[in-house]
Amino acid sequence: MNDLILKSVFPVRWIFKSIQRLLKPQGTEGLRMTHKNRIWFSAVFLVLTAGAVSSGRPLNVIPDTVYIASEPDYPPYCFVNEEGEAAGFSMDLFRAAAAAAGLQVRIKIGIWSKIKQDLAEGRLDALPLVGRTPEREELFDFTMPYLSLHGAVFVRKGTKDINSIGDLKEKSIVVMRGDNAEEFVRRENVSNEIVTTNTFEEAFIALANGHHNAVITQRIMGIELLQTMGIKNVVPLDFHLPEFRQDFCFAVRKGDDRLLSLLNEGLSVIIANKTYEQIRNEWFGPAVKDQIMFKDILRYLLFILVPILIIIAAGAIVFFRKEVKKQTRELKREIAGHKQTLKALQVSEEKYRGMIKNLMEGFYCVSFDGVLLDYNTEFIRILKLDPDKDHTGIKLPDFWQNPDDRKAYLDEIQKKGFIRNYEIKAKTAAGEPIVVTASSRVVKDDKDDSVRIEGSFLDITDRKKALEELYKLKDDLAITVGRRTAELEEKVQKLDKSEKAMLYMVEDLNELAAELQEERCKLLASNQELEAFTYSVSHDLRAPLRAVDGYSKFLLEDYGDKLDTEGKRFIRVIHENAAKMDRLILDLLNLSRISRVDMNLKQADMRKIAESVFHEITSDGEKEAFQFSVEKMPPVVCDTALIKQVWQNLIGNAIKYSSRSEIKKIEIGAEQKDHEIIFFIRDRGAGFDKKYAGKLFGIFQRLHSEEEFPGTGVGLAIVKRIVQRHGGRVWAGGETNRGAVFYFTLPLQQNQGLYKLECQNGKSEPG
Amino acid sequence: MENLNQVEILLVEDNPRDAEMTLRALRKNHLTNKVLVVGDGEQALDYLYTRGKYAEQDYDCRPKIILLDLKLPKVDGKEVLCTIKSDPDKKMIPVIALTSSREERDIFETYQLGVNSYIVKPVDFDKFVEAVNEIGLYWLLLNQQ
Repeated sequence: MNDLILKSVFPVRWIFKSIQRLLKPQGTEGLRMTHKNRIWFSAVFLVLTAGAVSSGRPLNVIPDTVYIASEPDYPPYCFVNEEGEAAGFSMDLFRAAAAAAGLQVRIKIGIWSKIKQDLAEGRLDALPLVGRTPEREELFDFTMPYLSLHGAVFVRKGTKDINSIGDLKEKSIVVMRGDNAEEFVRRENVSNEIVTTNTFEEAFIALANGHHNAVITQRIMGIELLQTMGIKNVVPLDFHLPEFRQDFCFAVRKGDDRLLSLLNEGLSVIIANKTYEQIRNEWFGPAVKDQIMFKDILRYLLFILVPILIIIAAGAIVFFRKEVKKQTRELKREIAGHKQTLKALQVSEEKYRGMIKNLMEGFYCVSFDGVLLDYNTEFIRILKLDPDKDHTGIKLPDFWQNPDDRKAYLDEIQKKGFIRNYEIKAKTAAGEPIVVTASSRVVKDDKDDSVRIEGSFLDITDRKKALEELYKLKDDLAITVGRRTAELEEKVQKLDKSEKAMLYMVEDLNELAAELQEERCKLLASNQELEAFTYSVSHDLRAPLRAVDGYSKFLLEDYGDKLDTEGKRFIRVIHENAAKMDRLILDLLNLSRISRVDMNLKQADMRKIAESVFHEITSDGEKEAFQFSVEKMPPVVCDTALIKQVWQNLIGNAIKYSSRSEIKKIEIGAEQKDHEIIFFIRDRGAGFDKKYAGKLFGIFQRLHSEEEFPGTGVGLAIVKRIVQRHGGRVWAGGETNRGAVFYFTLPLQQNQGLYKLECQNGKSEPG
Repeated sequence: MENLNQVEILLVEDNPRDAEMTLRALRKNHLTNKVLVVGDGEQALDYLYTRGKYAEQDYDCRPKIILLDLKLPKVDGKEVLCTIKSDPDKKMIPVIALTSSREERDIFETYQLGVNSYIVKPVDFDKFVEAVNEIGLYWLLLNQQ
């Protein structure tokens, strides 16, 4: 349908002519209506008509043909050309992009506000040149921008009172209806008086004719349009409108994603394959180059080459002159150098002659038949020749002790060409024998014939003598050493014998050690057995006892009412005896533990221990009744816990056996004697018969009945065991009913040793 | 078959006399909870891990307290203790060693293994009753939880 209407544009052109007369602005005399103007008017009509009948394409259905529209006057982007066709950069770009995306394009022409409306309402599919603004994003979707343009303010020439955007506030400004510019001026509230026209041509015509104060539009388009329209008295102002920067894109209907992506793709393709650049060059392309004429080239040659040649020639002359001077200078320098070298050679020869003359070795030069050709001072000195005479020409064989030696020497030097440190037995002019070492070599002429022998020699007579003496001394020493070695060997043999004796002793000792080890193992085993035994006693012996006690108790509790007094007494006896047996077992276990426990030796204050034990084991009544005194005692090293038990048993006994006596007095003291300290405790209790003193410390040994004084008979056995473990002794003295004295000793040796050790560690001060 | 679900005290004791006395001492302390007596360490572990003669039974094998003699046939009391205290599931059960041994070594080792209390069985039955009273304290604590 649209297609049909587009094709019918030209037959109905006459209609637009009358419309164009109607729209012609008043009072614009001489304004020409160009062919282009006519065309856009016809387009306006066309689109208006088309818009009325277009039904619109549904969204996101891929179209074969895309309907777009062009503005008539937005050069050079979108306009209608002389032939009445839509043209411009954006138009070409759209065609190319659509072709790249495989789309046909139908183009209508219409005024901007109308075609914008048509796109929004679906009568068109796309527009090729739409500036992207927030307002339009509500209505359209945009492809990627392909062009960014800036806006400008256009005024009549001679306008002086507009220098910034702020000056527009009170001015009357004109913009095209629906253009970015209108959106911009309204968004930014640029002016209080905004006039809109259908096109910018209208706006510029009005401004040029003295109406309003300014037109706002995109800068390049405005300039181009003014040129095309031939308006000279309107110019753009220099200041920028930063907020009126426009990104120009293709626009499609809101939500038409399919077409949008096709157009984006087309744009990407033409940017990639340089079509974009080509189109841009067509519209905004580079200037034409000037042609350079052959004559001009000839002229350039004449003017440039000839002076250059002259300059080069002059330069060359100067350069060569300098070079000749330089060469001459170098030759002179070389000649002077040669002269200097010659002089230096002479000096050097003299120097070497002097060196040879003063050499500390005898130097000689001799012909093969033995005639001396040259020599130095040392040669004269060694051979004791007359230093005042010239000896050139003398025969050297006269100085050999043995003529055969000389022959051997000559053979060797001729064979090898040289000799080194060759020892010669020679004699001086006076006939004294000397020894020299010679180093010589054969000198040859140009024809490689041997001509003479040159060399030097040292007098080693003295050295030789010293060496011989040294050898003799060495021989003497060897004899002495031999003698001494023999003596030493003899001694070593003796030592060997005693070492063997020692080894036998060590072997014996080892055997003894092994035996001891064996004994130790046995002891360890028996200790372990003992331990197992006591553990068994502790656990197994008490279980039946517990049953005896427990069940007698059950009997009393459950059948007490059936027993008479005698029956109940029996049960009490069972209970008492079970308790006694338990005490016995515990005492026995204690005794066994004391024998096994590891000793922890420390310095102890015996007085303090004895006093604290007394306070611990006595009741208040006993404390009151007893007169208890402890003397000051020397410091002692012992296992405090074990010794405390000694005092517990001894003090406990003293209290027990004094319980029936009138005098309740306990005295404790100590005395140092020889290598031990003797501690004693004395009471005025029941005492004992001296006869049985030896039995006191035996296990289960008692001198009193259970009724008289209760006890198990283990206490003193424990005391004895503890004291023995400390290396001490125990004994007792007493008299029946007069009291008893118990003694025990702790060895001073051990105490002193330990005491000393502790002092060294700074733990205590010696007392 | 007795209801093992009601077991609140597990008494591990090989000596039937001692076991009887312990039960009597518990009663005297008004601890009338259900007690299961087993004669050796193996049976104790069988009960706790539902194996052997206690296998294939459905009961809560976590008694509230275990009273454990140390000297036991087959599996020793210390081994039983070690097994219980190294099992994250059982180690919260309070274990009270009930033994004749007052050997320091025994006491030290048992505490090392994580025993909650150590009671030496005295020969005097009255003292034994007093000692068992300590178990009553545990009972009070357990009931507070």
